[in-house]
Amino acid sequence: MPVFKTPFNGYSVKFSPFYESRLAVATAQNFGILGNGRIHVLDLPSSPSPQISELASYDTADGVYDLAWSESHESLLVAAIADGSIKIYDLSLPPTSNPIRSFLEHSREAHSADYNPVRRDSFLSASWDDSVKLWTLDRPTSVRTFKEHAYCVYSAVWNPRHADVFASASGDCTLRVWDVREPGSTMIIPAHDFEILSCDWNKYDDCCIATASVDKTIKVWDVRSYRVPISVLSGHGYAVRKVRFSPHRQGLMVSCSYDMTVCLWDYMLEDALVGRYDHHTEFAVGVDMSVLVEGLLASTGWDELVYVWQNGTDPRAF
Amino acid sequence: MESNRQPSANNPPPKPWERAGASSGPAPFKPPSAGSTSDVVEASGTAKPGEIVSTSNNNATINRNALSRPVPTRPWEQNYGNSNYGGIGSNMGYNSGYASGTYGSYGGVGGSYGGIGGVGGSYGGVGGLYGGGMYGNSMYRGGGYGGAYGSSGMYGGGMYNGGLGGSMGGYGMGMGGPYGAQDPNDPYGAPPSPPGFWISALRVMQGVVNFFGRISILIDQNTQAFHLFMTAMLQLFDRSGVLYGELARFVLRILGIRTKPKKVQPPGPNGLPLPEPHNPHVNQNYIVEAKAAPSGSWDNVWGTDAGK
Repeated sequence: MPVFKTPFNGYSVKFSPFYESRLAVATAQNFGILGNGRIHVLDLPSSPSPQISELASYDTADGVYDLAWSESHESLLVAAIADGSIKIYDLSLPPTSNPIRSFLEHSREAHSADYNPVRRDSFLSASWDDSVKLWTLDRPTSVRTFKEHAYCVYSAVWNPRHADVFASASGDCTLRVWDVREPGSTMIIPAHDFEILSCDWNKYDDCCIATASVDKTIKVWDVRSYRVPISVLSGHGYAVRKVRFSPHRQGLMVSCSYDMTVCLWDYMLEDALVGRYDHHTEFAVGVDMSVLVEGLLASTGWDELVYVWQNGTDPRAF
Repeated sequence: MESNRQPSANNPPPKPWERAGASSGPAPFKPPSAGSTSDVVEASGTAKPGEIVSTSNNNATINRNALSRPVPTRPWEQNYGNSNYGGIGSNMGYNSGYASGTYGSYGGVGGSYGGIGGVGGSYGGVGGLYGGGMYGNSMYRGGGYGGAYGSSGMYGGGMYNGGLGGSMGGYGMGMGGPYGAQDPNDPYGAPPSPPGFWISALRVMQGVVNFFGRISILIDQNTQAFHLFMTAMLQLFDRSGVLYGELARFVLRILGIRTKPKKVQPPGPNGLPLPEPHNPHVNQNYIVEAKAAPSGSWDNVWGTDAGK
C-alpha cells in the first residue's frame, strides 16, 4: 500500500470526511521541538500503486501538532500549531491567500483540534496552557474557554452523538466530560495514575470512552459508572500516544505508541489485541481510520513516513 | 441540484454510526439544544469571547479536587509561594539554593547549556533534565532514584526547576514594560525601533525556555523510553570509566582546584623527559615505556598534558 515521505517529522494524520482518497498530515521540523511545520494534503492513487500524490502543502512558522477536517466544508482544514495559534486553511484558494484565519489565544502550544461532527459549525482546540477553547467560524474570537485542568490538555474530542458534549484528556491524570452549556465540567474521571495523552468516544455507544496514557495502557470507561473501567488493555511497551474508535465497528479501536507500533484492539473480546503493526522505525504518533472506507488505516510518525493500508495487509508491501 | 448547494449545506456523507441504533441505555447528558453552537453557548450564559488564559494566575478558581497526584512544575512557570503545590514548593528551596550557590542567578540555563559541549558538561546538562523534569517530580519523586543519585548533586538537584523557572519569572516582568504601549500590528505610525540588546537577549532566552519546555513535555510523555536511554548512557559512561573520573574533575574544577600543577613538567616514567615534537627518538622510547605502566593506575586519568 502507498507510502508518502514528508520532509519533517509526522505528528498527525486525518482522513477527509468528504473524499475517500484524501487525507491531511501535520508535520513538524526537528521532532516538533524547534523549527517550522508543514501541512500536507494528500491524494491516494485510484489504482494500486506506491505513489501518493500531494494536492497541496502549507508552511507554518512553528510545528503543526494536529489537524481536523471541517465537517461542513469539504475544503476547510483546522490546524493546531505549536506557537499556540489555530489556523484555518481553504484548499480551494491559492496558497498565497492561506491561511484564511489565524486565531492566537492559547498562550502555549496547541496540541489537538477536533471538529464538531454533529452540529458541524464549531471546533475545539486543546492546549498546553491547561485550557480547551471552543471556536465557531462566525466569530472572530473563541466562544468559550474551558479551564479546569491543572496541567497540559493533550486532547479534546466531541461526542459523536451529542452536539454539546465533549471530553478532554490531560496531563493532570484526569479525563473530564463537558457540556458547552454548563459553566464547569460535568464529570471528572481520575482515569490513570499517569498522564493521559488521548481519548476518544465510542461511535456506537455515546456513554463509552477510551483513554490512552503514559502508563502504557488503554482504558475503556462507561461514563455512567466510572468508578472502574470496563476494560484495561495492555500490550504497548511505552506510553500510548493516540487512540481512535472505529467508525464502522463498535468494539474496534486503533492506537499508536512511543513503542513505535500501531495496535488494533477489540475491547469486547477476551483477547483484546487483535492486530499489531510495527512498520514505523521511530515513535508512531499519528493514526486514523477512514470514515468512508471500512478498514482503511493511516499512520505517521517521527520516521517522516505516512503509511496508508487496508487492515490485515502489510503496510510496507505494495 | 448542484446550483442550489450552499456552503452550509455542504455536508459529508452520513456517518456509519448515524445509521445504527441508539446507545446502550439512557445517557447522563442533557438533551441537545437547537440552534448554532455559538447561539447555544451564548443562550446558556457561559460564553466568554476571546478569553486569554495565562498559566500563572490560574490557581484561584480551579477545581483540583480530583487530582490523583501532585502536578509537575512546568519549566516556564514560577511557583514560589503557590500553596497548591505543597510538595513541589518545598523542593524549590533546595533547587534554587543549588542553582544560585553554584552558578549564580542563571544557574539552571547555564548549567544545561554549558553542558552540551564536553563530556563532563553534557553530563551536567542531562543531569539537570533528569532531576527536574522527570525524577524530581513526575514519576519517581522521592523514590529510589532520588536517593541513589541525590548525593552527587546532579540528579537530585533538579537545576531545571530552580534555574529555568526562576529566570523565566524574572524576565517575564521585564518583557511587559517596553512593549506595553505598542501594537506590532498597527498599520499607522512609525515602525518600531529595533529591539535593544537586553530585549533581544531576553527573546533568545524565551526561545531557550520554549525549547526546554517542549523537551520536558516530551520526556513527560515518554518517561519509560527516556529512563531506558538514561540508564544506557549511565552504563556506557560507567563502563568506559569516564563517569566518575569526569565527575570528580568537574567537581574539583567548580571548587577551583586545578587538577594538575602547570609550572614544571614532571619527568616521565623512568626519569625520561616527556615527549616533545622535535625529539622523535625519545618519543618512541616513551611509548614503549608507557605500555609497561600498570593499567589500573589512576595516574593517567587526567592525561599527561592536562596541565597545558
